[in-house]
Formats: sequence, structure tokens, C-alpha cells
Amino acid sequence: MKVIKRDGKKVDFDGEKIALAIRKGFINAITNIAYNEEDHNKVYQAVMEDIEKEYDAESEIPIENIQDMIENRLKSMGYTAIYEAFSRYRFRRSESRKSFQNRQHKLMKAIENLSLKSASEEDSKRDNANVDGNTPMGTMLQYGSTLSKEFAKSYLISSRISEAHDKGDIYIHDMDFLPMGTTTCCQIDLSKLFAHGFSTGHGHLRTPKDIMSYAALAAIAIQSNQNDQHGGQSIPAFDYYMAPGVRITFKKEFKQALSEYLDLMESTKKVDFDKIVKQIDELQSIDIKMSDFKAHFDKDKNIEKIFKKAYDTALKKTERKTYQAMEGFVHNLNTMHSRAGAQVPFSSINFGTDTSAEGRMVIKNYLYALDAGLGKGETPIFPISIFKVKEGINYFDKDPNFDLFELSCKVSAKRLFPNFSFLDSPFNSQYYKKGDPNTEVAYMGCRTRVMGNVANPDKEIATGRGNMSFTSINLPRLGIKHGLITNDKADMAAFYKELDEKIELVKDQLLERFAIQCSKKKYNFPFLLGEGLFVDSENLTDTDDITPILRNGSLAIGFIGLAECLTALIGKHHGESEEARKLGFEIVEHMRERCDLLSKEYKLNFTLLATPAEGLSGVFVGIDKSIYGIIPGVTDRKYYTNSFHVPVHYDISIMDKLKIEGPYHALTNGGHISYIEVDGDTVNNLEAFKAIVRHMHDCRIGYGAINHPVDRDPVCGYTGVIGDVCPGCGRHESEGIPMETVEATRNECASC
Amino acid sequence: MKNETTKLVGEGIGFERIRRITGYLVGTVDRFNNAKREEERNRRKHSLEGLKTSAQ
Repeated sequence: MKVIKRDGKKVDFDGEKIALAIRKGFINAITNIAYNEEDHNKVYQAVMEDIEKEYDAESEIPIENIQDMIENRLKSMGYTAIYEAFSRYRFRRSESRKSFQNRQHKLMKAIENLSLKSASEEDSKRDNANVDGNTPMGTMLQYGSTLSKEFAKSYLISSRISEAHDKGDIYIHDMDFLPMGTTTCCQIDLSKLFAHGFSTGHGHLRTPKDIMSYAALAAIAIQSNQNDQHGGQSIPAFDYYMAPGVRITFKKEFKQALSEYLDLMESTKKVDFDKIVKQIDELQSIDIKMSDFKAHFDKDKNIEKIFKKAYDTALKKTERKTYQAMEGFVHNLNTMHSRAGAQVPFSSINFGTDTSAEGRMVIKNYLYALDAGLGKGETPIFPISIFKVKEGINYFDKDPNFDLFELSCKVSAKRLFPNFSFLDSPFNSQYYKKGDPNTEVAYMGCRTRVMGNVANPDKEIATGRGNMSFTSINLPRLGIKHGLITNDKADMAAFYKELDEKIELVKDQLLERFAIQCSKKKYNFPFLLGEGLFVDSENLTDTDDITPILRNGSLAIGFIGLAECLTALIGKHHGESEEARKLGFEIVEHMRERCDLLSKEYKLNFTLLATPAEGLSGVFVGIDKSIYGIIPGVTDRKYYTNSFHVPVHYDISIMDKLKIEGPYHALTNGGHISYIEVDGDTVNNLEAFKAIVRHMHDCRIGYGAINHPVDRDPVCGYTGVIGDVCPGCGRHESEGIPMETVEATRNECASC
Repeated sequence: MKNETTKLVGEGIGFERIRRITGYLVGTVDRFNNAKREEERNRRKHSLEGLKTSAQ
């Protein structure tokens, strides 16, 4: 006998498959009664009898009929809970299948566009600027992404939620990774990885033994973890993690220089070298006093000289190696690929607060390497570099790392990095414990921040944690529906009612996705969980439930377009009017209160996020334009204004912009950033640059960056502001110039 | 004679314009999606007017 499958194909009848389907039905059903294999077999035997009776003379049987028989038997034999679950499952599957089939046309169309158009023609190939849609691996990723999103909508996301997404009420970010149950990002504690070494799947990497391997392994760890998640990787305290590498390198160099110089001066026999080695091995810092070694050169001036000389040499060589290590790190992070070669890892590093001599050496040389740029002087795109500003450490002129803060300003003026984070802002300083870098708030480059922890209050730390997923709410639409634009006056009660409904919906969606994430096992994320990167995952076994681990992450509720929402509500945005400023704050404060309530209720970290919105920036406004038409100040552009930002096109001073945006940083505990745009003159004025960063600090910004044009002519290598003509070699865009002219420019550059 | 052998470089090569989106940098505006491109074009510079800070 043949079985007719759903697609019309005929296959040989196989009783075993029926037995397994019944077994699966029993196992997947949630019930208090403990059934065993005997129960499975009883139903199986009954179904086989039915088939023999009814289909004895037939040569074919449709698969749906077999499933009907299983259902009937489960019901008649009294397995009610199993029957209901089985039947529900069948119904859902069949609905999903129908829905997926309905999407096939759309899917083919999307694949067609990805395959037959170039990135410049097809917007969807530029959804994520970190993926080059013109390359084979970039396109492959986009194929997968397109299919996976449709699958998620049909099979995994509740229909009311996927409808809300398609309608543009909410936006589920990184939906393409929803079926895989990946989480967004992780703040990696490198010191933990370095302590025991780690494995990336094909062999073990031992504990690094000098600063070069510290930096190389840091890049590998970032790259490996990037494959286990759909967001980015952040290093919370890069300076602290690299410092021991500097110390080890210094010790090696010191011993080697001493040995060489003693040998050269034929003084080897005058000292007890083993004892010296022992003493050097025990050093806790590279900042040493010569007098500590007095015992070895007590009476001999020449030996003392050798010690001094060897120390100088060791310091110089350590400095040099640290620079090379940092240079290699920056190069690696801009060239190593992950995710089937489609992307360089989305990497961020936080630093600036380690005041040890080693930590300072790391920060200084990292900044020098960033300043020098890549092989042809290009501005490094990764890692996103974040300088942690902190009073008493680097903020005031007298602070120990003040020089590094100034250097950061100088480098940022040229390279756009570092960005600045502010540990003194109250919502960050509340976690800070002196001497424990794990309690210094870190940022993911894109702005995500994970610090508070209602699920595990003992673990209010940055390290080993990250966001699980985030979903954003279309605020402008709520403004349009309930504001001045469509009513006589803003109906705030109706606005808040619908806003609460949307928050509830997003909460449901985040939980639905969280359940998929928690259904995975350690072996699904061999690096993130297998190597113990995520907090408390060190002792997980392959069969353990990962839910308690993932509860340390955050579930973020995001938003876009506060400015357009306010304009739709009351006719003005928060850059323009005090009334809008008050209302804007009230709306976002309301959202934060809802998040806090949800956190309390579910003992999960629901956080409010000022959504980064790259792919999303044009999505909502596109749909809203079709529904509501072009509304001035609301839907008249191709994008909605990012999160709580004052619109980019609005004329405003630095002082006012930061004062207006500052309060929102305190509310958005899931992450935030404020930008200042300046011209070339301002950026090259160090005092002005510092004043801007300090004003960010005073306005209690959490994370900020100063934007200025960084252009580069790849022909002569000039980096700076380029209008129509390159100030370096004098050529117009796309114009050819004589080779000699370019060479003359290069020579000039080499001397500056 | 010399003019004939002068080799021109840079024909068809544009300038790279590095800009920030969401907190990270993108090597060139060509990689931006249409919405972000327009946003980038609309960005206004902010003035230093009245800027003072407490730190010394």
C-alpha cells in the first residue's frame, strides 16, 4: 500500500512512522498523567487494526486520513489531553502551512530582487550596512534571511503579532534569526576566557603568554561568539583584560635584557640569576622601584647600571609590542569575517578607567593604533571604541588618566572614535563599585546597555550578559491616530490606552521568542554557552535547561520617532517647545514605568530601549505614508527620527540639544545614544571638543558621540573634509590626475 | 613626449565618506539604505553657542 502525502507524492506505507508520530504526540503534550510506551503501543495497535479494516482492499491511503484515525483512537481510548494537544498541533501546522504557501509568491519576488539586482538598485540589499549585498556570501545571507523571516511569521509567531509587524504597529528586529533561537549580544569577560584558554571548535587555544597573543585571542573570541548570536560583541573593560598581557611581556623582556647585558659585561657570575628571575616573576606591576632589586647590586655600581639599562630596554620593548598588538587587533577586527564570511564581527570595546601602568599602556597604544588607521591610513570601522569617562579617574585635569581622556578627544576628532560613555550619570553610577571593573557600565557600540538585573539581583554586572531580543513600537502612528492631526485636540487618554496595548503586545512577542531561545541547549551555542561566556553558563551540561541562564539577559522594548509623535499630537516636537518637551518626557517615562512593572511581574529584565533603528528607519514611515498620506513634520521624510532624538534637520545648539536629550538617557535603561554634529573647525579645536564631551557629562548623558565629516580620497590617501575637490591632491571626484601629483602629495603627508 | 607617457590615476574613483549610524561607522554612504541616506543628508551642524562646562 502507498501513502499519499500532502504534496501528492506517494511513498511506501511504513507502520513504524505511525508509531513514532503517536509517540511524539504523547511526549509533546503537556499533561499531569504519566503515560509510557505501553500507552503509545496500545494506540498504535488500534490504529493499525483500523487501517487494515478500512483500507484492506485499497492500494492507497492519504496521510490526513491516517492522522484522523490517530485522533479518533486517542479520543475513544480516553487519552483526552493527548487527543486535544495532537489535534491542536495538527490544526496549527496546517494553518502555518497554508500561510506559508500564501507567502510563496512574495518570497519568490524577494529572492528574485536579491538575485538579479545590484545593491545600488535594491534597497533590501542595503538593509544592514555591515553586509555587502553585492558579494556572494552577503547575498547568500540575504536569501536565508528572507526565507527565515517568512518561516518565522508562518510557523513561530502568533498571527496577531505577525500581523502587527506587517501592519507597522511594531517591528520585530532580527526576525530572520528568530527560528534559530539566537540571542542578540554579549558583553564578554575576556579575563575569564584567558584564565583557562578556550576552544573555537577545532582545537584548544592555551592561556596567552604575551600581549600579542592576548590581543590576537581577543579578536578570535569576538569572531567566534559572533557566530552564536545575531547582534554584536562588546568587551566591557578592554584595558583591564589586556593589562596582564603587558605585565607578562614586560617580565619576559626584563629578564631577557638583564641576561643579555650581564652576558655582554661578563657579569653573569656576579649575580644569582635564578633569584632575580624569581623576583621578577613575582612582580605585580611594571611600575617598579630599582631599590627593590638593591640586594642584587648592593656593592656593584656596574650591576646597578645594567639593571637600570635593562629596565629601560624592557619598558621600551613592551611599549613597542603593545602598540603592535593593538595595531594587529584593529586590523584583525576590520578584516576577519564571521557568519559565513558575510560580515566582519560587530565589535565594540570599552576602556579608559584602568589607571595601572599596564592598563594605561594599553589605552595609550590602542589610541595610537586607532589614530594611525589601517594599512593605507583608512579610518577603522571596527571595533566601536568607547572611552569610559569617570570623575576622579580621567575627567578632571588632575585625574590620573586625564591625559588619556585628552588623547581620546584628539583621536576622536580625527577618526570619529572613541565614542564616550559616562559612568557618573546617576543611572550608571548606582552600580559602580570602586575596584570592580565588572560594575562599570559598558555599552554595545550600537548603544545597547545591560546592567540592572531583577532576575538575579546578585548579578548586577556588565560582564557575561547581553540583550536577548528587542522589538520596537511605532510612536508616530499613535500620535497620528490620537493627536491634533486627526482630532480637534490630542486625546491623551486614548493615546496611552493604545500605547499600553502595544507594550503588552510587544511583551507577549518578546516572551514568545524567549521561549524559543530557552528551548535551545548548550550545544546549540557552543561558544557562548559551551565556553562559559554567558553568566553562570560555566557548569552547564548539554541536557540542562538554559532558561535560568538566559534570564540574566534583557528583553528590550524599543521605540522610534518621539519627535514625529509629538508633532502629530500637539503640532510641535521637543526641540521646538517646552510643552512638547514635557509631554515627550511624560510619554517615555510612562513606557519605562510599564517596563519596570513587567520586570517585577515576570522577574525578567524588560528594559526600555532607544532603538538603534537602522533597517527600521524607513519602514514605519513608508507604511504610514500609504495609510495617512503626507503629513508635514510627521510623514514627509523617508525616515522617522531616531528614538528620542531632536530631529537631525532641526537647527539647535549643542547646549540645548544635550539638555533636551539628557533626561531620556536616564529613562532608557536598555540603551541610548546622543549625537552632536560639528564641522571641521570645531572638531580640530581640542578645547571645544573637550567642552562638548564635558557638557555631555554635565547633562547626564549615558553614551554620546560627536559626528563630523571624515572623508578620504583613496587615490592620495588624504583624510579629512573633502568637498568637490580633494585638498590633498587637488582632483575632483572620479577624475584622473597624473601619478606624479599624487606622489608629491604622499611625500608631503609623510612628513606631517 | 612627456605628456603622452604621463599616467593618470583615480579615474572613476570616488571619495569615501565615512559616517556613523546607530553608533557604528560605515565605510561609505553607498552602503546605507535609502532612509538612512536621506537622514544623513539632512543632518545639520550644531553650534557651540553658549557652551560652558563645570569641569576644570
